[in-house]
Amino acid sequence: MKRLILTLLASTIAASSVVFAADAPKAQSLDQLLDMVRKAQTAESELNRQREAQFKQARDQQAALLNQAKAELAELERESDRLKAAFDANEKELAVLEEQKTVRVGNLGEMFGVVRQAAGDMAARINRSYVSAEIPGRAKFLEDMAQSKALPKIEALRNLWVSMQQEMTEQGKISRFTAPVVLGDGTQVERELVRVGAFNLVSDGEYYIYSPETNQIQELARQPVARVVSLVDDFESNSSGFEPLYVDPTRGGLLQLVVQAPDLMEKYHQGGVVGYVITGVFFVGILIVLERLITLTIVGGQIRSQLKSATPGNNPLGRVMSVYLANKDADTDNLELKLDEAIMKEVPRLERGIAMVKVFAALAPLLGLLGTVTGMIETFQVITMFGAGDPKLMASGISTALVTTVQGIVTAIPLVFLHSLISGRSKSLIHILEEQSTGIIAQHAEKKGA
Amino acid sequence: MTALTNLWEFVNRFMETGGPVMWIIAFVLFVLWALIIERWLYLQFEYPKEARTLIASWHARQDTSSWQARHIRQAWLSQATERLNTRIVLIKTLVAICPLIGLLGTVWGMINVFEAMSSQGSGNARLMANGISMATMPTMAGMVAAISGLFVAARLEALARNRAEQLADSLPHH
Repeated sequence: MKRLILTLLASTIAASSVVFAADAPKAQSLDQLLDMVRKAQTAESELNRQREAQFKQARDQQAALLNQAKAELAELERESDRLKAAFDANEKELAVLEEQKTVRVGNLGEMFGVVRQAAGDMAARINRSYVSAEIPGRAKFLEDMAQSKALPKIEALRNLWVSMQQEMTEQGKISRFTAPVVLGDGTQVERELVRVGAFNLVSDGEYYIYSPETNQIQELARQPVARVVSLVDDFESNSSGFEPLYVDPTRGGLLQLVVQAPDLMEKYHQGGVVGYVITGVFFVGILIVLERLITLTIVGGQIRSQLKSATPGNNPLGRVMSVYLANKDADTDNLELKLDEAIMKEVPRLERGIAMVKVFAALAPLLGLLGTVTGMIETFQVITMFGAGDPKLMASGISTALVTTVQGIVTAIPLVFLHSLISGRSKSLIHILEEQSTGIIAQHAEKKGA
Repeated sequence: MTALTNLWEFVNRFMETGGPVMWIIAFVLFVLWALIIERWLYLQFEYPKEARTLIASWHARQDTSSWQARHIRQAWLSQATERLNTRIVLIKTLVAICPLIGLLGTVWGMINVFEAMSSQGSGNARLMANGISMATMPTMAGMVAAISGLFVAARLEALARNRAEQLADSLPHH
């Protein structure tokens, strides 16, 4: 039991004071232990007192800190209130100033909108203008101005003014300048051009167009009719005074339509196979006519010279005369029969080919009609396939139809005319043979007899 | 001078509305009337003289009824008729050609109409109207030219035939 208490006490002491426990001498007896405990207690209470004092001191210190922090907080809160008040005041002032600004900017903002719009319009106009062919790159600044969000500077406004004024002034001028030109085959060469206001560009007696998309001056692939183009040269060579010139008021629109229209050769090929057949008929007909014209002229000349001489030569009239001379002594009826026979032999040679020309003259419009009908068939086939909605599809077939008609008529007109010409000539020669040959022979006979 | 240029400009405009065919019609019309005037002058002034000398030389002949005389008379008549009728066939052909050229112009104009349609669609009536005027003007011009020549040509032909018959009557067999 004692041992247990001892151990307990010892452990208590050890636990309560680790410092002392380490070097605490071991109790030799109970009294000694008591004494030791007492001493320890005294020491301990001393220690506790010390610690208490220490704690108190610390507590006081903390309280002081707390008070200090509180004071600080209060200070900061006051500061915050002050700043908040200042912020509100500023906010109010800002609102007032903003309002003031809006009022003062008022008219200026409206002007800004107008300026942007004007700059945009002007940029588009300058881009399309023929003046830009001579003075390129003017629209860039205006485009920037139209896009910009900032208020334009006074300098920019002045530039806008200058641009507008320049465009206006240049539009009223006829000016000469050198610029690269894209020719029909795509090559680029330097050319001296004359610009007529904002409407046309001419050079070397030709019209040029300015394409705003590519900023290029292009040679027109096809020029307008000669009457219009013929004035260009005089206009270009003139340096003072006035000279007439055809101007395209649509700024290239009409000239571009000229390019689209097919030329004569393209139209000719629209006729197709029938068109080529008609051309063949035309040339064969013309060849026959030429042959006839030459032959009839030669024979006519021979007959006319035969009229003056009594000795028969180798020509139709001469042959008839030689028949007369061979049968001079036969009786009248017989002679007449022989002469008629001789004339009948000559006539076909003079009439040869003339009927053919007439047939060709009649054939050509018929072939034209054939082409028309085949063209219309083509058109209706197109309508069957694609419907009648697109006039462009139909129009090509119809123009084929019409072109053959034109070719037919164009072939028929000269052939009809030439037919009347050669048939007139051959008829007059046949008249000479049929109605006059006997008379001529009689006159010669009379002269000889007389 | 300005009046003249204005007139020329007017004619040019008129011709342009009808297209190039108008110039062909104008040319044909010019030739036609030149020929008609030539014929009329011949019939009016030249032919009577020729007829008189012919009649005189026939009457101067002693022999007017033999085989020879008969044929000589026929030859003279034939020559006179031929001179009377030269170019009348040509005039008639030109008259006949005029409407044909007009038709050519019509078809040409229609081609322009369809060309305008094929390049611009049928929406643009003004472009098509250009072709239509090109189609109608030559027809009209061709008709007017033909009508103007038709009557005169018929008249000239009848006149020539008349004169030939008169001449045949004036050369009697004695």
